[in-house]
Amino acid sequence: MKKLLVTMLLVAATATSAHAGLKVIGRGDAMRLDPSSFPPAMKANYEIVRVKCVKCHTLERTIVAIQTGVAPISGQPFDRSATKAYGVKMLRKPDSNMNKAEVKASVDLMNYLLSESEK
Amino acid sequence: MFLRKHTSAVMFFLGISLAPLLVPDHADAIPAFSRQHKTECSTCHTIYPELNEFGDAFLKNGYVWPHKKGEAAKGTEPAGNEWAAISGLPQQIPISLTASADLAYDEDAADGNKLDLSARSVTLQAGGSFRDLVGFFVTYNLYSQGMQRASALSTPAENTNVPPGNSPDLDELFLVWRQAAGTPVNVKVGRFEPKLSLWKKSNRILPVPSYASTTYRVGLSPFSSDATEDGVELNALLGNRLFVAGGVVDRNGGDRKDGYGHISYKIGGTDLKGQEPEVDLEHDSVWDFLSVTLGGFGYWGQNGEFDANGIAQNVNNFRRIGAEADILYKRLHLKGSGSFGRDSNPDFSVLATSVDSRAYTLEGEYYLGAPVNLVPLFRYEYLNAGYGAIKRFTPALAYAPLQNLRLSLEYTHSIAPEGTGNIAFASIAFSL
Repeated sequence: MKKLLVTMLLVAATATSAHAGLKVIGRGDAMRLDPSSFPPAMKANYEIVRVKCVKCHTLERTIVAIQTGVAPISGQPFDRSATKAYGVKMLRKPDSNMNKAEVKASVDLMNYLLSESEK
Repeated sequence: MFLRKHTSAVMFFLGISLAPLLVPDHADAIPAFSRQHKTECSTCHTIYPELNEFGDAFLKNGYVWPHKKGEAAKGTEPAGNEWAAISGLPQQIPISLTASADLAYDEDAADGNKLDLSARSVTLQAGGSFRDLVGFFVTYNLYSQGMQRASALSTPAENTNVPPGNSPDLDELFLVWRQAAGTPVNVKVGRFEPKLSLWKKSNRILPVPSYASTTYRVGLSPFSSDATEDGVELNALLGNRLFVAGGVVDRNGGDRKDGYGHISYKIGGTDLKGQEPEVDLEHDSVWDFLSVTLGGFGYWGQNGEFDANGIAQNVNNFRRIGAEADILYKRLHLKGSGSFGRDSNPDFSVLATSVDSRAYTLEGEYYLGAPVNLVPLFRYEYLNAGYGAIKRFTPALAYAPLQNLRLSLEYTHSIAPEGTGNIAFASIAFSL
């Protein structure tokens, strides 16, 4: 019994630390991620997302999609194929002001966040 | 004196100078579809009302978000919204209003009123779907400039500073039975713009004037291929990139129905179901940004002069055949449209004289994008409706300080058999 309790506590502790990568600050339009625990490459990618994506929509939309696995507007699954499709959509949007490198960085970040949220 | 001589130039530069003052803190788009789907106008529009690729897919999907398949039937409504799922009613009243005010300067105005400021139109629109099974769209013209001056002059008591409007008019009202009976065919019934052109006349950056290739008339015949008519249309998306449409139109006074057909194919880019293309994010290809849509259409109809019983006589049999191309590459958007026609008796004369007609429109737009949401545009048009060639050159600028607000400045130089003409036109339009 004691072993079981210890195991359960360890699992719970592990789950908590896994979500540290998705630490969310603020609510609604002001919602954003705390990138302090991100790897350096993802910190740079987050900076691109933070600056570029908010031209058209809040970060809340992206964060909710990652947390729930469902794109909030379309109601469709938000998985790795969806992140690339959204990236391509933004790349091709005439006024998105995003080049291919920036879109790739954004897709990489979303995939990283999806992986973190699945842990 | 300077102002009188150079009014169009002053308007132009005043507009340019003042435009940056209107830059907002954030976009705030609110018309009906935006409210319904809780998304920004730029999801479907470049500079409203022109549709982007996704907007075109939304339109072709009967005003239902692309990729959705039968969700309504699965009972996905959240608790408390059961009434909406059962009744099929939209949860918000899906109504929008679009208004525009224009300033026109015509050096050669027939009535001598060179500078004309008037509210041009106020339009109510409604659109949406019932449980994703049936889409609907309504356009109701509450007011349009029309023949304001003529009516004012004939009735001195009405000759006020406020121009009277035309009678309210139902421009569009149709239902689309989406993917009828499990087939890929959508059935559209009501009053609508027959699907001929690649572009609906109301979905262009500069809706006024409309393209010569789709709006021209011949003789006394009131027909133009972009006019709304009562009819039934079947259309379908085949293989994600081929769109076909065909329909019949019921014209008053005729002893037969008009018929038409459209076919278009899109190469590259977002497909007609709104799915993004495969793009290699590591390597470049010209197809990353290029899309080409080619279309063709035909219309066969009959009209005439109504007698006292409302029956058409001195009948005019007419046809229009057209070909179009739409090319999008990054921020550059090119459109080409050509239409050829033959009218057997466009003047409804006892002695019929046939007229061949042709018209072309070429338009190029370039989106400067953020932070300057400005689109320089150039349009060239050629029209010969049997009475000599008319050429029009239209440079223009459109600016969207907000996603639901558009300012535009146009200048049109026309060369016609009877002489040249110059018109400067400034317009502000908004939707809510």
